[in-house]
Amino acid sequence: MLAIETINLSKLYGENRGIRNVNLKVERGEVFGFIGPNGAGKSTTIRTLLGLIHPSGGRATILGHDIVSEGVELRKKIGYLPSEVHYYDEMNSRELLEYSIGFYDNINPDEIEHLADFFELDLAKNIADLSFGNKKKCAIIQAVLHRPELLILDEPTSGLDPLMQNRFFDLLEEKHKEGTTIFFSSHILSEIQRMCDRAAVIRDGEISAIENIQDLLKKQMKKVRIVFNPDAINRNLPIGSQNEKWHDQKVNFEYVGPIESLIQWMNESKVVDVVMEEPDLETIFMNYYKR
Amino acid sequence: MNKNLYIKELKRNRKNFFVWLSIVFGFTLLVLSIFPYMSGMGEGLTALMEQIPPEIGKAMGMDEQTWSSALGFYSTYYGVYIVVLISIYTASTGAGIISKEERDRTSEFLLTRPVSRKTVFWTKIAALFSLTLIFFGLQTVLAGIGLSLVNEGTMDWGIFTRMHASGFILICFFTAIGVLISMFFTPKKNFMGMVVGLTFGTYFLNAIAKSTEATKWIGYISPFNYMEITIDPHHAFNYWGAIVLILVAIILLIVALKSYEKRDMAG
Repeated sequence: MLAIETINLSKLYGENRGIRNVNLKVERGEVFGFIGPNGAGKSTTIRTLLGLIHPSGGRATILGHDIVSEGVELRKKIGYLPSEVHYYDEMNSRELLEYSIGFYDNINPDEIEHLADFFELDLAKNIADLSFGNKKKCAIIQAVLHRPELLILDEPTSGLDPLMQNRFFDLLEEKHKEGTTIFFSSHILSEIQRMCDRAAVIRDGEISAIENIQDLLKKQMKKVRIVFNPDAINRNLPIGSQNEKWHDQKVNFEYVGPIESLIQWMNESKVVDVVMEEPDLETIFMNYYKR
Repeated sequence: MNKNLYIKELKRNRKNFFVWLSIVFGFTLLVLSIFPYMSGMGEGLTALMEQIPPEIGKAMGMDEQTWSSALGFYSTYYGVYIVVLISIYTASTGAGIISKEERDRTSEFLLTRPVSRKTVFWTKIAALFSLTLIFFGLQTVLAGIGLSLVNEGTMDWGIFTRMHASGFILICFFTAIGVLISMFFTPKKNFMGMVVGLTFGTYFLNAIAKSTEATKWIGYISPFNYMEITIDPHHAFNYWGAIVLILVAIILLIVALKSYEKRDMAG
């Protein structure tokens, strides 16, 4: 059974907005990234999966439950972290979290204290008085308190300082080890690179690619910097080189091709020093965005 | 019904409940406490009443009974103020109980819990009518105690019961209208103006209808027309009117539920 499966899922608002024919298959236990620029349809997809908005076409299941007809059952198994947090201003965090666990069966209320300590959240403070980051901490806690099988995270780190982001990623890694499936929507690619096994790219409401992150990085070009012996500069770069920039005996270029050919070429040239870098995921995905 | 949500709704609405309860209690006590002074001036006021055109008197709910007994005096104010005030409270609470979550965007939190929209709707309606019933019950008890203290001579509790039962049906009807209007206007809307206009407006339509034969037809569009909230001993509780109003209220709630189930929660 898949954690998430969408078949031609669509939500149309007039001509251009919404999502069209979204097809996703997320395996159980996987950390799946969902990337796209702002307004691409990430939140619309998530809100449709959660039953907050009704699909105009297609269908979807979460952990085997239909999103339209079995919403109650599937929401028992989901933890959702929204990108913007809107809670009841008159409550404090403790009241909000106790209210939240009241909707689920057999939740240990001691978990609230434990997680609040971990994220350094003052439970007694009114929600209206919390900063955006602290509201986000409260939202993280409510998302994991009932030990969901699937976590749906929409721009989860916005508002968190770097220390809390690290704690949050520690928590996600722990949840991942316990077998929780994580659906991670973000436009911050380094987060996707850090956490996810696979990722889908959404653009203008349509899925433009689904890729294995490691494969994607392997397939892609390398950034190469070479320093030659000044007496033996080899200006014939290997096949697959592009954007070369010479500076005396140094050259910077991008290489796309089999790594063995590059090594063999370096072996034949009198190379003094070499630096090879992977381009970051951002550069790779910019290609998808631009297409 | 979801117990967790039900309790939270009662708690969330308690402040507003007590503010409105103190207004209505204050008004009830004011009416009852001025009666002894007014009845002392009974003859003079009856003479004054004769000066007022009967149409105006009827429209204001005043007649020769107004000054003759505590219940008569109380009934003059019951329809136009107390029922209308309680209705404004319950209808505005009804208008806000679901739409407030959308306006404050807390509906995202609520609707991602494992509860169906139908359960959310009926639980909130149950909390709303619990508040309505408690409010109405407390005001009825206060009025009953007050009337028995200021009344001289015999008190017709049958008429009091009929008046209050009629008032309760009207309050329930307006409560349902409040819920319905919140479904058809943007959640940013403040419903208080609409609710005040509707309750007072329909009261005065009925009052105008009662003042002359020529305007009688106007009354048919006012729910007040179908419920008897005066102390006229020739009138009885209108069971058919009550059944129709309650049925219409239930239909309005079902329409509101269907609209709630269909709507998209904006992000």
